[in-house]
Amino acid sequence: MSWRKLSSRSLAASSVLSLAIVAPAVTVLVRTLIGLDWPLGATAAAGAGAAVLIVAGVLAYAWARLRSTRWRLTTERLELRSGIAVRQHRSIPRDRVRSVDLTADPVRRVFGLTVVKVGTGEHPGEGTELTLDPLPRREAEALRRTLLRTGEVPLGDGGALAELRWAWIRYAPLSVWSFAGGALVLGALYKLLDAFGVNLFTTGTAAGAWGWVTARPWLAVPLLVAANVVVGVAGALLLFAESWGRYRLEREPGRLRLRRGLLTSRSLTLEERRLRGVEISEPLLLRLGGGARVKAVATGLRKAAENETEDVAALTPPLPRALAEQIAERVLGLGRPGTESPLAEPGQGATSPAMSPWRAGLVAHPAAARRRRVVRAVVAVAALAVPAAVPSLLWTWQGGWIWPAAVLVIGLPAGLWLAADAYRGLGHALGPRHLVTRRGSAARRTVALDRSGIVGWTVEQSFFQRRAGLLTLSATTAAGDGHYDVVDVGTGEGLDLAARAVPGLLEPFLAGKSSEPRISPGLPTPLYWTS
Amino acid sequence: MSHDSAARAAKPDVSATTLRPPRNQADRRAISWWTVQAMILAVPVAGAAVAAYWLFTDRSTWLGIVTAVFAAGCLLLAVAAPRAYYRVERWEVTGEAVYTRKGWLTHTWRVAPMSRIQTVDTARGPVQRLFGLADVTVTTGSAAGAIKIEALDHELAAELARRLTTITQATPGDAT
Repeated sequence: MSWRKLSSRSLAASSVLSLAIVAPAVTVLVRTLIGLDWPLGATAAAGAGAAVLIVAGVLAYAWARLRSTRWRLTTERLELRSGIAVRQHRSIPRDRVRSVDLTADPVRRVFGLTVVKVGTGEHPGEGTELTLDPLPRREAEALRRTLLRTGEVPLGDGGALAELRWAWIRYAPLSVWSFAGGALVLGALYKLLDAFGVNLFTTGTAAGAWGWVTARPWLAVPLLVAANVVVGVAGALLLFAESWGRYRLEREPGRLRLRRGLLTSRSLTLEERRLRGVEISEPLLLRLGGGARVKAVATGLRKAAENETEDVAALTPPLPRALAEQIAERVLGLGRPGTESPLAEPGQGATSPAMSPWRAGLVAHPAAARRRRVVRAVVAVAALAVPAAVPSLLWTWQGGWIWPAAVLVIGLPAGLWLAADAYRGLGHALGPRHLVTRRGSAARRTVALDRSGIVGWTVEQSFFQRRAGLLTLSATTAAGDGHYDVVDVGTGEGLDLAARAVPGLLEPFLAGKSSEPRISPGLPTPLYWTS
Repeated sequence: MSHDSAARAAKPDVSATTLRPPRNQADRRAISWWTVQAMILAVPVAGAAVAAYWLFTDRSTWLGIVTAVFAAGCLLLAVAAPRAYYRVERWEVTGEAVYTRKGWLTHTWRVAPMSRIQTVDTARGPVQRLFGLADVTVTTGSAAGAIKIEALDHELAAELARRLTTITQATPGDAT
C-alpha cells in the first residue's frame, strides 16, 4: 500500500489548541506593558501581534509535522515515518500488535479526529508504541478493526459486559478526594490566577479573609469544612462524569474493549491472553457505601500518563458490590484462549461464566491473625498516647491530660474496629482456575489470580508470625503488582494451599512431621548441587 | 510446564506441614568475605567511638566502660553475624525448581519453577573476586520474583548458571 498522510484537519485543531498558549502569554505581556506605562493602543497592538505570532508558529509547526509524517499499513507491518529535523522510521509487525487505543479530546472530537496509539504490549514504555496523531475518526476505527482482526470469529460477538448507569454516580463522592478536593481545587485555581498575574496574597483579600476566620472560629471553621466538602463532592461528580460518561466494557474476540469519557473519549483494548486475573477493590469509604470497582490483573499494562484521570487497569467505575462481583466473574470466565489451563475441570471451558471463585466464600484465617492485628492497634495507639502525655507529666500544664485522654478515647475504639475489620477482611480460597486472596481494611482488595499465571512462591515468616504459627504466602506473577499475598495464614494451611494451587512446585520442599516423603512419584529425581 | 505431569498429593496432615531447609549452603569462604564486609563498617565505628572517648571527654571510668562495651559489641557483631548468616542461608536447585531460604529473624523462602525462569545472571564484586566467590541471580517474569543465591564458588556459580540457562531454554512458552 502507498504512504498516507495524517488528517489535514489537524491544522485547524492545532490552531484552536494554540489558544491555550495564546491566552496566558498575551495576558502576561499586556500586564507587563501596562506596568511599563505603554500607551493603550501600542499595548493592544503588541498583544494582537503576539497572538498572531504564536498561532502562526503553532500552525507552521503543525504544517511541517503534517508534511513530514507518513504512515502505511502493509500486509506485514504498520510503518510510520516522522520527524521534522530528525527523521524517524518506526515499524511494528502486525502480528505483534496487542493494543490499539483511541483518544479524542473535545477539540479533536469537534473536528472528527482521533489519536491512535498502537502498542505491542510487551515492554510498556518508550519505543514500543506507535502514535498516529491524528486520523479521521472513521479511518481510526477502521484501522483498529483491521489491526486487531483475529480472523476466525466474526466481529460483534460477545457484546457488552457492562454499560454505564448514571445511578452509579452516587459512589463517586465516596473517596478521600471529596475531603481533600476543595483545597486541591483552590490550589489549582490559585496557580491559574497566578499565571495570569493575579496574586491573591498581595491584594490583601487573603489577609482580610484570614482576619474574618480568626475573629469567629466557631462559625468559620465548620463553614470552611462544609465548603471544602461541597467543592470536593462537586469535583468528584464532575470527574466521574468526564472519566466514565459513555462507559461501555465489551467483549470482542480475544480481547476486552473499554470505552469511556464524556468530553475526551477513550477506547482501550486488553488482550485476554494478557489477563491473569481480576481485582475487586474496595476503599473503606466506598465499601461502607456498598460499592466496589473492578480492575484487571494483566501483564504489560503501560503506566498511566500524567493527564489520564484513571488507573489504566480500571475496568469499571465504582458500582454496586454485587454487580462488581458479577462483572469480575464474567471477565474471569474469559481466560486465556489457546492455553487452556490444565487445572480447569472438564466442562468449564474458556467461555463458561459459571466459575465463581468467591461465591463459595473465603476461608477465614486463624484467630492468631486477629490477635496480631489487635496488638498492633493497641501498640500504635499507645505510641501516639505516650508522647501526648509527656508534656503534662514534665510540666504542670493545666488540662494537659486531655490530649492523651483524647487519643485513647478516640484512637482505641477506632484502632480496635480497624483491627477487627482487617481480620474480617483476611481470607483465601482456591477455585478450579484461580487463587483468591483478600486483605486490607482501609483499602480492601480481593484478587483472583489465574493459577497458571503464578511464576513462583515467596513464603515469609517473621519472628512473631513464627510464634503465632502463621506465615505470609506470596504468589509471584508477571502481571499487575508482581506479587499477591495471602497474609497471616496458618503455617500448614498456607503451605498446603500453595501446594494445591500449583501442583508439583512446592511439594518436593515440604516436610510433614509424619516423616512420610512428600515427593510425588511422577516427578523425576532431583538433581542436587553440592559445593 | 512442570506441574502438568505432577500428581496431586494426597491431603496431608495440614498442621504438621513445614518447609524443609534447602540442601546446600554457601561456600565456606563466604564467612570470611562477609566478615571482611562487616569489618569495613564495624572497625571505623568502633574506632571512632574510642577516639571520641580519648579526645573529647575527660576519660571517666564509667564512660570508658560504656565505650569499650560498645566497641567490643561492634566487633563481636561483625564476627558473629556472618557465621549466623551462613547457617541460615541455604539454596537448592532441582530439575524442576530453584529453592532458597534466608533471613534470621524473618525467614524467607523462595521457589521459582524452571519453566518460568527468564534470566540467569552471575555477578562478582571486586572484593568478592579475591575470595573466588560469585552470586547467581535468577529472575522470573515477576517484578517481585528475583531469587539470589549468594556467595558460591565462582566455578560452581558459572556451571550452575550454564545448567539453568540450558534447562530454561529447553522449556517452551513465554514464561509469564
